Amino acid sequence: MRTYTRLILIFFALIAANSAAAQDGDDIRDDEALKMVALEALMSAPSERALPIVIRVLEGTGSDEMKEAALFILSQIDHPDASEQLLKTAQSANGELRRDAIRMIGISGGDAVDSLAEIFSSGDADVRKAVLEAYMIAGNSQGLYNIAVNAENNDDFEAAVEMLGAMGATDELSKIRERSGVSDAIITAYIISDDADAIRELALDGSDLEQQANAIEALGIVGADDAEALLTQIYRDSDSEFIKEAALDGLLIGDFDDSVLQLYRSSTSTAEKRELLQRLVMMDSDQVLDIIDETLAGDH
Amino acid sequence: MNDDTLVLYYYDDGLSNQERRDVEAAIAADESVRARYEELRLQLDQLDTGSDVAAPTHMVQRWHDSIDRAAQRERVPVRSKPGQFNAMSFFWGAAVSAALAVGIGIGVIMSGSPVPVELAPNYALVDPETSSVVPGAFARGMQVHLRDTQRNIVALSGDNREDRTLLVMRIIQQNRLFERAAEQNDSAGLARVLRAFEPILLRLAADDIAPEDADALRRQLAFELNVMLTKLERDTSKETHKT
Repeated sequence: MRTYTRLILIFFALIAANSAAAQDGDDIRDDEALKMVALEALMSAPSERALPIVIRVLEGTGSDEMKEAALFILSQIDHPDASEQLLKTAQSANGELRRDAIRMIGISGGDAVDSLAEIFSSGDADVRKAVLEAYMIAGNSQGLYNIAVNAENNDDFEAAVEMLGAMGATDELSKIRERSGVSDAIITAYIISDDADAIRELALDGSDLEQQANAIEALGIVGADDAEALLTQIYRDSDSEFIKEAALDGLLIGDFDDSVLQLYRSSTSTAEKRELLQRLVMMDSDQVLDIIDETLAGDH
Repeated sequence: MNDDTLVLYYYDDGLSNQERRDVEAAIAADESVRARYEELRLQLDQLDTGSDVAAPTHMVQRWHDSIDRAAQRERVPVRSKPGQFNAMSFFWGAAVSAALAVGIGIGVIMSGSPVPVELAPNYALVDPETSSVVPGAFARGMQVHLRDTQRNIVALSGDNREDRTLLVMRIIQQNRLFERAAEQNDSAGLARVLRAFEPILLRLAADDIAPEDADALRRQLAFELNVMLTKLERDTSKETHKT
């Protein structure tokens, strides 16, 4: 059978999708599989020919899965009508189809991305999450920054800031930090973006003990080259039990048991030794048994 | 008499002599068949065949397979209805698991710590940092990556959660490499598509994902990968014709 004939058959299979009478389950499933292949095939057709067919599928009575596939095809068609259709669906559809249209706007990366801010502000939590993801897909850090600085609640702020971390958008994160100060979300974003320099700076900044403690723990998570030495130094130098505790947590998270062991051996305080020993036990350090043995031998 | 048969009859293609005679008889005897054929004929007459791009070989094969399966289906008794996929319950479940999974996944990916897993022997690893890619080579490498991803997604259906998670991380790492390669090769659109795969992959790695939801996500990924392969083949074919 000629290729062209098959393509025509497939086009008609798609068109028929919108007028098909009720069918039994297996027939529907096979019919749907055929239509999905037909949709794939549209990528081989000129966009001006493919576009009306895809739009017809989207506006027809087919399944959501079929319409989601049509949305993806639209995202790959470089034509203003395709963007417009994506935007229309993102604004008017419900549930999963709406969220998928938002994702496809991110994938298409066209002018429709500019409309995501409005969709974000009028959407529910799931729509807002989809918009953040679409900005990430589009590589649009400015859109995420705008959402973060204009956020009306902490959840939106945190989600936008963490997504900026996922994008490694260090400039935007710095601007947010200057504007809103250090927050848990900023530190989490630095962890996600593996920005050891920023975390190190915060870990040594004693202006806000709570955030300093968070940053100290984050040092253990990102595991920078000098993290072990820095955490040990912070532990030794700090007068604050709160900060010492955070440094120990950082050492535990980073699995730096050699340093905890050194601290144990150099400590002259029984209370401190007890605390350090507990940490070593929690770290499942190979040297715990030796220490216990030494301690018990000392008793004898 | 279905539309497929009438279209084949119109193009005088793919029907045996007996089948053609059957169609002729049906058109002559049945008013509804005659009306439908006239409708199809009018539409087909209007189609301009001049500007079509040749379909890629792998796509043609897939059409053949699908049409053959559809034809077989017509010949076997209808079985009981399968359980219907509930799109809403899928999304809510996926959204909850994704909230956790995306954070963990992105953290792993962005930390720069390679996941300690062996790549399959036939897994094409291209490092865009060190390789001097040219557009043609880039396109071919991307095609290999997309096909490898297709194959690995099939492997994601395994029951072992740890294996599944490691495999997802491996796919994502590779995906990241090609995303960067796409950006370096001025293929921003391709980079966006590759980025869009990641959240879906992470949802697939979630502990609590229901089998039917995972199937739906795999189908979605498979579809999107196939579309991108078709698009790449089309673009590569155009480039070849130009040169």
